[in-house]
Amino acid sequence: MKRLFAVALGILTAIGGFVDIGDLVTNAVVGSRFGLGLVWVVLVGVIGICLFAQMSGRVAAVSGRATFEIIRERLGPRAAVANLGASFLINLMTLTAEVGGIALALQLATSVEPMLWMPLAAFGVWIVVWRAKFSILENVTGLLGLSLIVFAVALFLLKPDWSGLAAQAVTPQVPAGEESPTYWYYAIALFGAAMTPYEVFFFSSGAIEEKWTVKDLSQSRSNVLVGFPLGGLLSIAIAACAAVVLMPRSIDVTSLSQVVLPVAEAGGKVALAFVIVGILAATFGAALETTLSSGYTLAQFFGWSWGKFRRPVKAARFHLTMIICLLLGLGVLFTGVDPILVTEYSVVFSAVALPLTYLPILIISNDPQYMGRHVNGRLTNGLGLVYLGIILVASLAAIPLMIITGAGA
Amino acid sequence: MRSHRLTTPPPAAGQVLDAQLSLLDRQVLDRTGVPVTTVDDIEVSDVPEGAIPVDAAPPVITAIVTGPVLATRIFGGRLPESRYIRIPWSDVSSVETVVRLGVDGEALDASWTERWVRDHIIRRIPGGRHDPE
Repeated sequence: MKRLFAVALGILTAIGGFVDIGDLVTNAVVGSRFGLGLVWVVLVGVIGICLFAQMSGRVAAVSGRATFEIIRERLGPRAAVANLGASFLINLMTLTAEVGGIALALQLATSVEPMLWMPLAAFGVWIVVWRAKFSILENVTGLLGLSLIVFAVALFLLKPDWSGLAAQAVTPQVPAGEESPTYWYYAIALFGAAMTPYEVFFFSSGAIEEKWTVKDLSQSRSNVLVGFPLGGLLSIAIAACAAVVLMPRSIDVTSLSQVVLPVAEAGGKVALAFVIVGILAATFGAALETTLSSGYTLAQFFGWSWGKFRRPVKAARFHLTMIICLLLGLGVLFTGVDPILVTEYSVVFSAVALPLTYLPILIISNDPQYMGRHVNGRLTNGLGLVYLGIILVASLAAIPLMIITGAGA
Repeated sequence: MRSHRLTTPPPAAGQVLDAQLSLLDRQVLDRTGVPVTTVDDIEVSDVPEGAIPVDAAPPVITAIVTGPVLATRIFGGRLPESRYIRIPWSDVSSVETVVRLGVDGEALDASWTERWVRDHIIRRIPGGRHDPE
């Protein structure tokens, strides 16, 4: 019974934790402009993150080494420091977007200026990182994030033309009035949103925080393989809601209020309350994950003591890094930059940085010195190589497409 | 230059390590398993210049080097002697996928930044000394 509970809890938190501000915004933007014509990207992204997260979790559980220790050990200090620089900056950008997202969600709930909520949001994230146990922060935000299921409920309440939606999803095409580079630019953004690199740092370091061993592998596999695809369904529901309500009226998504508009229209105040709780939990959870990831990457590169299972005084530089990163994120937000814009850029740059983390994990999960008999099987390696190709193409095409399309304008 | 065919090295006693592959950039843990640093560089005892006498002692690793030396491996250059932070090789107890020390990390020079940040910043913030709840 206890075991069943643990499995269910793991899956539920994986679903609730899958969606973050990047998924929310990008899916709504894409849904309002391309309908369900990019759903296939979400599917590709979900399979990718399953593969990737499962591999990095297995490496951490078997070898006891987290992702960035391995990156440095395999690539040497030069390539690793370049990798660290890119990963750390993009993570910082995502962190900024998530903290901004918390403030925007609080604005939806209270109509108080987001600028006033931002310091409180950052402080809230810090106090949880400082004091709360790892398992609690994981489970609470993951479970509350499940309120986002209201997007799926709203979709049913909207009584859409299901066959029309299915046709959009099955035979993807560039809608009239959109250029094909723009279509591909958003395809990469959506891919980056589903496969954000911080999830891998977080997942592998989390495995060490929770002291996973080989015995926990099957449970982690079920969490990932069931939880993430269901989380992906939530992403698709967000896009579908936007496709049904926003696209026909050609409403552009430029703020969170447009993201939640379809839900409010379908389910009124109650649904709106649910969606605000869900967004708050999703952004807060992701803000915690990115904050921790900033500490994890730096500490693992330099070999510092890290981890939430230690008291802050036992991992001093790790905690100092996180405090500084939160302050930096807050500083960026205080310049008055639109958090939605930061989000849109962060998902594209995530796609650019993906090969940097993906390749070392693929290499190390084939190294018997680390993995013993738990090295990758043929199927995983085959899929891994296919994804390496996809990730490389997406990474190389992202910046040129960004320039050609004027960032998807 | 005449090319010499190298003679096969004499059989070594104990574990054979490739320093580049299985020593550099590995995590260093102390006696209790707490991370101390990463192997940023290693120091090897002097190799005599010119012809090597037959009975010369083989060079040995004398220390793990850490701290600012990492920058020289990335950007090149040399550090003044005073900036090297060493962990004597005699403190090492085993080399696996990590390098384990037989001493407490707390007493090592290599952990001075950790101690400084802890004593001057983290310890002064309320709650820093307690277990997470």
